[in-house]
Amino acid sequence: MKEAFRLILAILLTSPLAAAAQVDTSAAEALIKKSGCMKCHSVSAKKEGPSFKETAAKYKGKADAQAALFKHLTTNPKVKVDGNEEMHDSLKTKNEAEIKNVIAYILSR
Amino acid sequence: MGWWSNLKQRCQTCSRVTLGAGLVIGVLAVSFVMLTAGAYGLAWTNTEEFCIGCHEMRDNVYAEFKGTIHDKNRSGVRAICANCHVPHEPVALIVRKMQASFEVWGHLTGKIDTKEKFAKHRYEMAVKEWTRMKKNGSQECRNCHHFEAMEAEKQTEKARARHAKAQAQGTPCIDCHFGIAHNEPDGPGPQELKIAP
Repeated sequence: MKEAFRLILAILLTSPLAAAAQVDTSAAEALIKKSGCMKCHSVSAKKEGPSFKETAAKYKGKADAQAALFKHLTTNPKVKVDGNEEMHDSLKTKNEAEIKNVIAYILSR
Repeated sequence: MGWWSNLKQRCQTCSRVTLGAGLVIGVLAVSFVMLTAGAYGLAWTNTEEFCIGCHEMRDNVYAEFKGTIHDKNRSGVRAICANCHVPHEPVALIVRKMQASFEVWGHLTGKIDTKEKFAKHRYEMAVKEWTRMKKNGSQECRNCHHFEAMEAEKQTEKARARHAKAQAQGTPCIDCHFGIAHNEPDGPGPQELKIAP
């Protein structure tokens, strides 16, 4: 019985729902705003870049989601906009926890 | 001309000219008072105090607007509700005011009088405003922001490229600059709206 309870708890804690619950939404939104992400992205609407909802859907159920987004948001990769290549801006922080919070925010949209 | 004979009968000592002049002055005076009162009334409905007179605006969209770049910035130039949401051109202004008078019905019937109700109707309200701003080429934005007056070299490379493309294609500002003064509603944005020409 105890084992079953532990198993259920472990599943719940690692589920996307639990990840969403751990997001500090206002901190994530503040960093997103400070970093100018909303100039090209939106939560659910079309802009130059994909919406957070599109990104969340793209990475849904993928084990490498966090790692891929971490790389995308910290290494200034080249992205295609209107057929032209341009550098993607990084989040304006070096704090890993803050970056992971933004990633969790995006993935929970 | 019964009214004219009636007027002459009341003032038998007055000449035609005096009566006529008195009538014209009277009509002008009444018109002046009505026009002045109308202009004051219209100006009053454009004030921030009027717009946030109801809690639906004050507690939702106005609360979100506080602290944004259009509310507080280094130069101290503010845009109030009417600057962005009310046309400046006389005919468009009157049309919008007439439409707004119907929106008072929503206030009276409590259509959006709670946070939950406001959230439920936020998207449809946003779409209405986006549609208006797309149809007039975001005229209210462009009353202050002019492509010709932008110093492109002071913009980031990305902003410069986006603005050049928008200017060339006649893209309305709202297509990209939405959700900047109020929370973004959940759903497709202005770029995805199909607006009939």
